[in-house]
Formats: sequence, C-alpha cells, structure tokens
Amino acid sequence: MSVGLVLVSHSARLAEGLHELLEQLAQDRVPIALAAGGPDGTLGTNALAIAEAAGALAGAGEVVVLVDLGSAVLSAEMALEQLEPALRERVRLADAPFVEGAVAAVVEASLGSDAAAVLAAAEAARGQGKLS
Amino acid sequence: MSGEARASVELAVEHEHGLHLRPAADFVRLAARYRAGVRVVNLTRGGGREANARSLLELTALGIDSGHRIRLTASGEDADEAVRALADLVRSNFQAG
Repeated sequence: MSVGLVLVSHSARLAEGLHELLEQLAQDRVPIALAAGGPDGTLGTNALAIAEAAGALAGAGEVVVLVDLGSAVLSAEMALEQLEPALRERVRLADAPFVEGAVAAVVEASLGSDAAAVLAAAEAARGQGKLS
Repeated sequence: MSGEARASVELAVEHEHGLHLRPAADFVRLAARYRAGVRVVNLTRGGGREANARSLLELTALGIDSGHRIRLTASGEDADEAVRALADLVRSNFQAG
C-alpha cells in the first residue's frame, strides 16, 4: 500500500513551493495533496480542505500529514476526526518540521515504505541540524 | 557469506552541483536496495563527519560540493555490491539513478 503526503500550510504559496521541491525528489512515486491557505488567498488552514485531501489519498493507501506551524495541528486534528474510521486509521499526523520533515518523508515514501516508516523518517528530521 | 563483510571506496564527486538534493535522493533510493548499512564521509570538508546513506537530510548536511572527495563504507552481507553500485552512480554523474 503506497503512502501519500498531505501538506497543510497557512500559505498556499508556501505549500506549492514545497510541493514543487518534493516532486523533484519523488519523481511521481508519491501522491501529494495540498490543503493550504484560507479563502480568497488569505492565510489560514481549513479543516474541511484537510479532510478532503487526506480522505482522497487514504482511499488509495496510507497517508502522512505534515503541517507548517503548530496552530495548524488543531485544524488537522479536527479534519481527521471528520474522516470515516476506515480512512482515519490510515492517516498519521507527523510531529516534524515542515520542509525537512516533508523531504525526508517523500524520500522514504518513494522507497515503498509503510506509513510508520515514513512518519519515523519525518519525525527524525526534528533532530537534524542544518550546520554541523 | 558473513554479516561482517565490509567494503570501502574513496572517490570524487564531479557533478556540477555536488551531492545536491535531487542526486542525493537518487543516492538514498539506491542505498536502500541493499541490506548493508552504508556511511558517507566528506573527506574535503566537515572534519570527517559521517552520514547514513539512507538519510537525505544527513547527506545534504555533509555539504558535498563539486570536486569534493567522499568515502563510502558499507558493512553487511552485500557490502561490496552496495559500494560498487553507489560509486557507479556517483561516477556516472547520477545519470543511472
């Protein structure tokens, strides 16, 4: 079962830029959905949009959700509660930095790993320094 | 034959951007095909810091630039094959991944 990623961001452009980067790395091996920004280009997160993105990917496999900032966690948790139990159990919320976590996750997912391994790769990025 | 097999090679990275994100992702995916654990060291910069070849973030943090020399060290039953395949990928300028 493949693992897809949902990118949850307050900014549509932030998520789109990360999506562009991830596509270069994954080369079409990993399904990616975005739930980012508020209505009319405003900043914000939307539980319904997150639920739709996660639900669509969960129909085809497991899902790991990455959020940009802590305040998106509440929206993501609300979104997951809205999913049917059969879909909900396939979706994991990552406690990981948005960029590094997503990069680590997409590479792990591109190997065909399961959601637990993808989640672990994303969360391991928390301890990875940029300078030495 | 034994789980203790080790293999190592030193080589230069000639890719014009070094081991940047996309080639590094190909490198990680190739390393994941082998049972052997593979470590990468940047011999030119970074004071001998090591990265796990299976971690894109660790690899990119080595700052491997064009012309830098690296050492690949594998341990595990298919260590020889792993080192050879990864060295071939680097020498091919990441065309084979």
